[in-house]
Amino acid sequence: MTALLETRGVWQRFGGLVANSDVSISVGRGEIVGLIGPNGAGKSTLFNLIAGVLPPTQGSIWFDGEDVTRLPAAARCQRGVGRTFQVVKSFETMTVIDNVIVGALVRNTVMREARRKAHQVLEFTGLAARADVLASDLVPAEKRRLEVARALATEPKLLLLDEVLTGLTPTEAQTGVALVRKVRDAGITVLMVEHVMEIVMPLVDRAIVLDLGKVLVEGKPSDVVRDPKVISAYLGDRHAVSA
Amino acid sequence: MDKNFAARRRRDLIVAAVLAGLAALAPLFVKDVYVQNILILTLMYAALSQSWNILSGYCGQISLGHALYFGIGAYTTELLFTKFGVLPWFGMLAGGVIAAIIAMGLGYPFFRLRGHYFVIATIVIAEIGLLLFQNWEWAGAAMGITIPVRGDSWLKFQFMRSKLPYFYFALALCCLAWFVTWWLEDSKWGFWWRAVKDNPEAAESLGVVVFNSKMGAAAVSAFLVAVGGAFYAQFLAYIDPESVMGFQFSLLMALPAVLGGIGTLWGPVLGAAILIPMTELTRSYIGGSGRGVDLIVYGGLIVAISLALPQGLVSLFSRSKAKGATR
Repeated sequence: MTALLETRGVWQRFGGLVANSDVSISVGRGEIVGLIGPNGAGKSTLFNLIAGVLPPTQGSIWFDGEDVTRLPAAARCQRGVGRTFQVVKSFETMTVIDNVIVGALVRNTVMREARRKAHQVLEFTGLAARADVLASDLVPAEKRRLEVARALATEPKLLLLDEVLTGLTPTEAQTGVALVRKVRDAGITVLMVEHVMEIVMPLVDRAIVLDLGKVLVEGKPSDVVRDPKVISAYLGDRHAVSA
Repeated sequence: MDKNFAARRRRDLIVAAVLAGLAALAPLFVKDVYVQNILILTLMYAALSQSWNILSGYCGQISLGHALYFGIGAYTTELLFTKFGVLPWFGMLAGGVIAAIIAMGLGYPFFRLRGHYFVIATIVIAEIGLLLFQNWEWAGAAMGITIPVRGDSWLKFQFMRSKLPYFYFALALCCLAWFVTWWLEDSKWGFWWRAVKDNPEAAESLGVVVFNSKMGAAAVSAFLVAVGGAFYAQFLAYIDPESVMGFQFSLLMALPAVLGGIGTLWGPVLGAAILIPMTELTRSYIGGSGRGVDLIVYGGLIVAISLALPQGLVSLFSRSKAKGATR
């Protein structure tokens, strides 16, 4: 079976800065893949390219057997790419349920159905009790959850999670991990950018490490964390040698 | 929760029907032509502001150039009537359609602009429109068009003896604009517009085609405003560029909505019900001095309301509800 998502030789340049150079990754159906790397490695850029915020300078992006390189974000969402934002972008003047309804409208044109779908998603993500609260009144952990809920309401095949677990308390992060597992069990493929290694590593099936805009290592999380190249990228060469 | 929501929608509809019913009875008690005139203007501005609110309130694209669409509605109707003998009813529709097309034509380049730059563009475009009409000989240029008197009739939508038909038309227009808003509020478009206003990037990631949403809002908004312009032209029986396309109309569409509660269902009606009578009354009772006291009082009141209730007057009604919602 072909991969759900594939980037083929993707480059992104911002003026003289090369954010992604020749990145080719693939994500199979039903996987949870972690995209990790030190700050400035090009993770967020790659994420935005996959979500369709901007087209790559060079290379192509394939989703579900289709070349989506030139498609804008809204069209990719319609094809089944859902995403969250690193800096949460809730619709602040709208209630939680209304936020989620916006997502649900992609697949349900009848309001009644969109509303029902949104309620289901709120149940699924544990936000049902907060349905009628304004998004601006949520605490940060709930806002992150709302981002996930909104994206899930679009019924994605692939869910892109951009640092949803970062900045949470350990308890909140554990609930987050449980939610990601639940999402995968519902048949949704997950690609997540994450910083907190000890939380991500047990969660993901496969890790892709980016460094300086290139794919450094790719493989099982347990192998990746021991890889000297990864250690040197994160901590510097001295530590790599001693490992 | 869904029941609450459906109940609230139904309650809004019932309140609107009752208010419209009461308003329809007003002429039984109000015989004074001056007061009738104020009522007509209030209803008209409520309708205009409600229409403005669709693009600027719900979709968040603040326009201070809606006078352009108002003027286009007025001019289309009167040019068709005086030059080709087309009944104002058709002129009104034609004006609405032309305004909607122009709104989308202008939206094509200008919806790429954000925030203040968009607002400035709308002001400039409306001023250009005003200048064009002031110099367009065929359309009467600065002299304007006097609408020939053909006797009172609904067919020609012309009434000299009584203002009441205008009153009922303004009421109907106000109800129409309110109902369109009510209907759109719980539709895909309504949700898309609010999402675009709050965060276009997030909206795009959820499958909302931001550009098309703005175009849709602009078209509906401009259409309804142009119908209002057509009405106003018939009501005045004389138009010139300044009296149907002046900047003050753009302001008088925006102010009631802002004062009443921008992006809300009831804000424009509430705002117009307070602002327009206030405008007229301050002008007639303290405006004669020539010192602009009326404008000072009027401006002062607007500032006072905005400071006390930044969310608009509707927040007076929803305050208890909002409290209940936050936990």
